[in-house]
Amino acid sequence: MTLNSLRARVTTFYVGMLAVALLVFSTAVYFGAKAFLTRALEQKLSNNAHSIVNDYLVPREQKGDAWFADEMGESYPPGYSEPSVRVSQGSKILFQTGDIRDPFVSVSQIHLPSDQNWFNRFHRETVATGQRIVLYTLPYYTPDGSVIFVETGATTEPIRHVLRSLLLVLLLSTPVILILSAIGGYFLMSRPLRPVVVLTEQAERVGRKELGERLAIIPTGDELERLSLALNRMIERLEAALAHNHRFSADASHELRTPLTIIRGELESLIQMPSLPLPVMEGIGSALEESNRMAKIVHSLMAISRLDCGGEQIELVPVSLTVVVRETLEQMGLLAEEKRISLRFEAGLAAYIAGDPMRLKQIAVNLVDNAIKYTPVGGNVSVSVHEEDMKAVFRVSDTGIGIPPAALPLVFDRFYRTDEARSRESGGTGLGLSIVKAICSAHGGAAYVESIEGKGSIFRVEFPLLNRSILSSGKVLSARA
Amino acid sequence: MRILLIEDEQKVSALLKRGLTSERYAVDVAADGIEGLELAETYPYDLLILDLMVPRLSGADVLQRVRRRNTFLPVLVLTARDSIDDKVKLFELGADDYLTKPFAFAELLMRVKALLRRGPVNRSSTLRVGELELDRLTQQVRRAGRRIELTAKEYALLEYLMQNEERVLSRNMIIEHVWDQSFDGVTNIVDVYVRHLRSKVDDGSPFKMIRTVRGTGYTICSGNET
Repeated sequence: MTLNSLRARVTTFYVGMLAVALLVFSTAVYFGAKAFLTRALEQKLSNNAHSIVNDYLVPREQKGDAWFADEMGESYPPGYSEPSVRVSQGSKILFQTGDIRDPFVSVSQIHLPSDQNWFNRFHRETVATGQRIVLYTLPYYTPDGSVIFVETGATTEPIRHVLRSLLLVLLLSTPVILILSAIGGYFLMSRPLRPVVVLTEQAERVGRKELGERLAIIPTGDELERLSLALNRMIERLEAALAHNHRFSADASHELRTPLTIIRGELESLIQMPSLPLPVMEGIGSALEESNRMAKIVHSLMAISRLDCGGEQIELVPVSLTVVVRETLEQMGLLAEEKRISLRFEAGLAAYIAGDPMRLKQIAVNLVDNAIKYTPVGGNVSVSVHEEDMKAVFRVSDTGIGIPPAALPLVFDRFYRTDEARSRESGGTGLGLSIVKAICSAHGGAAYVESIEGKGSIFRVEFPLLNRSILSSGKVLSARA
Repeated sequence: MRILLIEDEQKVSALLKRGLTSERYAVDVAADGIEGLELAETYPYDLLILDLMVPRLSGADVLQRVRRRNTFLPVLVLTARDSIDDKVKLFELGADDYLTKPFAFAELLMRVKALLRRGPVNRSSTLRVGELELDRLTQQVRRAGRRIELTAKEYALLEYLMQNEERVLSRNMIIEHVWDQSFDGVTNIVDVYVRHLRSKVDDGSPFKMIRTVRGTGYTICSGNET
């Protein structure tokens, strides 16, 4: 369960979207409810005030104060406070209901209307005890020109209470919804993603051993089925290309080697003829040597092309690079001795890597042989194997003729030789370092060179160090070269 | 001893036939797989030399069909392919030995002799070539009674040369026998070792036993004939 998986990303994305949606929804609900409740309260206050004016204050002109007080007392009994009503003329209170309750606000605390701005308006006030109330003041102009105020009022506490509860519900439910949907979504996502996981595992297997395998088609009819079909077509094309390459390399090999066999055989039978003149012997001998060299070139070229195109399976086994190099050096000691070159070997740990011992040995032979070849008599060649940042490093440095800077990037190319090397070396194939590089790549490693012309060269080959847990399990790994 | 050679390249088959005939083998040549199979099923051959790339019926098919009828016939395969995969496949099909083209005739001859069990099966503990003596038990080498000190590789090289007295051994054969394939193709390690061995064996003696055959390889001679 990595944070970077598609599953986690999709889940995160839609939980984020859901959070935004919930936020918008909650805001709308909260303010909508607030507006609705406030409007309902205000409507009630204004309706009450208007009905008092129309039903009681207008008839009061004919029916008198007593009738008004009776009627009002009947409609708004003393205990009644929803809304509380006060009718006043100047400082004289004509009628007043009970105090506002829940919470209690004494009506007498409320100032009598004075401000013209309050007329026909809703007016919010915080009384001395801290409660908020809303008041509606409606002026009534009597025929004699005086003004009677009808005030209706109510506390906004119930609305605030409802809104607080609503907010609490929203705040609590939002994270719960989000968490539940994240968990549910994460598990839900595993269903559509399962084929992808299966596909990945299969794709990993294909090509590790043989390309012949195909992925199982996911019969869902959706993008995933198309993906698996496309992958299979890709493997098919890859296989065709590989097979073509393989056939070509086999054919080329055959076509090149058969004439060589004939040349060699003819020359061999010629050279065995008795009493040949010396120049003829020389000529045949030289031709034989060249046919041998040609055979070596064909052999090396085929080996490289097989390694490069992955035509050959190489068996990777846990092997100690140190041991391989040491054994090789023991066999090559005499080559150095011949030129009175001191050949030193330093090694740290065993440096276990997954490799093909024969091919690793070939790397060591090629590099050490080169170093000896290009180092003048009496020089030094030092070889080392050590572990460095999860890599096994094999290093060959010499005090030889070195490589010109311009040639450094080219030394691993096939048939590339510096002029200096060309004049010194005869009978070589020009493919030794290319083979080194091809073998390195087939092992997931890399080869580097640095050199100072006239001072010497350092060749460095790196391989991924083998995990100790794999090592102890003794598993044999295999890979395509 | 009768040998069947299935090889389509006329020049190669002519060469091999000439060489093998001069070693007193009877050689029949078939130029394609079908003809070869027919011959192989008709006559009791002692050895089959089979090129893998022959027309009409591939060498692998020929090998498979021959093996179905005759499990004892030794088969030496000539192949242009030298990948390990191919080699393993050959042995799985029932080949007894293989030789990668191009090869030295000397090498072919050695393998033929080995397959016909007429090769140098000298298993006595002492090898003798002229006045040179090699004791396999004590790993001591003497020439005319004089003790010669050799390193392990020099000893292995000399033993191989002496086992194949008078026969030319190619560098390739020596490398495969005394070293291993990773030394193939690059170094002059064989020449260096032979030079060292020669100085130890031949220095101080008028007759040089270890000889270079230009373009081919090395041989050791007893000097009795010359």
